[in-house]
Amino acid sequence: MSSGTMSEDDFVGSDYDDFDDSQEEEEDSDMEYEQAEDIGFSDMITEKQRKKAYEVDFAVLPLADILAAQANASSHVSGILGVTQDQAAALLRSFKWNKERLVERYMDHAQEILDQAGVVLNDTKPRVFKRPPGFTCMICFDDSYSSDPAVGLRCGHIFCIDCYRHYLTQKTVEEGECRKILCPETKCNLVVDEETIKKVVQPPTLARYRQLQDRAYVEDLDNLRWCPAPNCENAVECRLPHSSFATIVPTVMCACGNKFCFGCGLGDHQPAPCGLVKMWQKKCADDSETANWISAHTKECSKCQSTIEKNGGCNHMTCRKCKYEFCWVCMGPWSEHGTSWYNCNRYEESSSTDARDQQAKSRASLERYLHYYNRFANHEHSAKLDRDLYMKTEKKMEEMQRTSDLSWIEVQFLKKAVDVLTSCRMTLRWTYAFAFYLARNNMTELFEDNQRDLEVAVEALSELLEKPIEREKIAELRQQVLDKTVYVGSRREVVLEDTAKGLAEGRWEFFMEFGKV
Amino acid sequence: MSGICRSRLAEERKQWRKDHPFGFYARPEKKADGTLDLMNWQVGIPGKESTPWEGGVYKLVLIFPDDYPSKPPKCKFVPPLFHPNVYPSGTVCLSILNEEEGWKPAITIKQILLGIQDLLNDPNPESPAQSEAYVMFKKDKVSYEKRVRQQAKENAP
Repeated sequence: MSSGTMSEDDFVGSDYDDFDDSQEEEEDSDMEYEQAEDIGFSDMITEKQRKKAYEVDFAVLPLADILAAQANASSHVSGILGVTQDQAAALLRSFKWNKERLVERYMDHAQEILDQAGVVLNDTKPRVFKRPPGFTCMICFDDSYSSDPAVGLRCGHIFCIDCYRHYLTQKTVEEGECRKILCPETKCNLVVDEETIKKVVQPPTLARYRQLQDRAYVEDLDNLRWCPAPNCENAVECRLPHSSFATIVPTVMCACGNKFCFGCGLGDHQPAPCGLVKMWQKKCADDSETANWISAHTKECSKCQSTIEKNGGCNHMTCRKCKYEFCWVCMGPWSEHGTSWYNCNRYEESSSTDARDQQAKSRASLERYLHYYNRFANHEHSAKLDRDLYMKTEKKMEEMQRTSDLSWIEVQFLKKAVDVLTSCRMTLRWTYAFAFYLARNNMTELFEDNQRDLEVAVEALSELLEKPIEREKIAELRQQVLDKTVYVGSRREVVLEDTAKGLAEGRWEFFMEFGKV
Repeated sequence: MSGICRSRLAEERKQWRKDHPFGFYARPEKKADGTLDLMNWQVGIPGKESTPWEGGVYKLVLIFPDDYPSKPPKCKFVPPLFHPNVYPSGTVCLSILNEEEGWKPAITIKQILLGIQDLLNDPNPESPAQSEAYVMFKKDKVSYEKRVRQQAKENAP
């Protein structure tokens, strides 16, 4: 992508701007076209041509495809095992759609597997029938005569149809169960088969039951995941093994536009792998505000490292836990203060210096965490502010478009800029979580250089967007914004490429082990 | 099944009066106006013979929800019992009493009470509900039994 490199060169530093001016103006008209094109289309083309290190292959499956895939698998299995398609589907469900395992086990233990799935072959016995004489439903205990039918499986546990329907509705609609609904009788482990459910429940419950089955299908398969966006009915398919998610961050994008992580279902968190994200989030949920408060209000006992809040005016502290007596001001032992000093002026004594060193060490780890956390949180916050700003600016631009001779296309550059800016801030945000767990070495320094370059570029673009918009200067502003947008985007790519490659090569050294998702 | 709660409980009461296991009792509470409150029962469960629980009759209240028997009743020892699977509040932790685990609408009061009786001398160490009894049960069986016997004496009818 030649124009991408070119614009990068243009922005080596603002000092050169004046110098380059004449040249730039000559090229200006050409560049505009090239870059407009650049922003609009060539991104997509390059993506197709060459997969980037941080991208994964995936496909978006709408609901219809999911239904078709189930039907496909069932008809295949029904052919092999000689059962109906519905029965094959039920068998597959109880085997989490693992065709091979089902067929293999079925050959040896057919009856056991049929029972497990609640499937009865050549079953002509009615599920719903007239109440036998002297019948008492064991749910409602009603023994009066009624023409309403009774329901029972082949275990012989019979209940009145109202109670049965209510029970099945409770299980599906209320409890969201569709895999294994058991006979309502105490201790009976017979699975209620689909046939019975179809006959007994009302259409909305049946629809819910089917919906739950579709949901279970996607959940059971490791290479599928629902798009977590509200009201989106698509699933995404990604064929990477879950074990690879320690070194690959599988960000996918649904057809609805929602970008999320295939590994854990959270929003895009590149470049940090899922295990790291999970650990970081847990740490933040537990620690961030508490850590802030602790940092501001407490000190550690210099002997047992318990965290102590000073709740009175006196500097003579006694640790509740280890009973160590010390001075709050110098952190040295109280015994050295004599009895009469309640004001500490003994700053340089060696024992108190040691104590303060200890203190400093334990504080350093807290400060270190806060350093990363604050930057992490700040980028999230700034992304929101950028959005807000954009909303305001957009209104202004629309107004300009109406009142001046600017065309619609000419006022669109801000949207693209804000989109890029937001995604860069999201990336930056996670680089801080990533960096928090990195061990100090040369690789980390390179990473931090890339991170800094991206951050500088992001802040520059953000600042540019905050500039008041004047009509005369709009063409100039537009050019600047377009250039910076391309540059920021390419800096983001550098960070993502480098971290993704590093993860794949095992180049990063973390000071903690990340479990699988 | 809405509305079957009361009729089912009335029927359960009828059946209980006809026949119930030895040593147990179960009756609906009385309201202020003298009528029966079928939604709240007072029950007593005897400790099994030749166990440290023998000799005690342990009192519980069963609180039935409006959608009983779709949902199980809440079973609570009053006063709270020293037992690994009884919460400090007295509530019993038992799989058949959990609507998402073993509860079935066909489980009767009699079956619940027999189930809790079984639990007394056969606690489930997989789901501890109070630390005191659980820790003692795990670490010091002798003191645990002594404590249970003491409790049986305190709960003699």
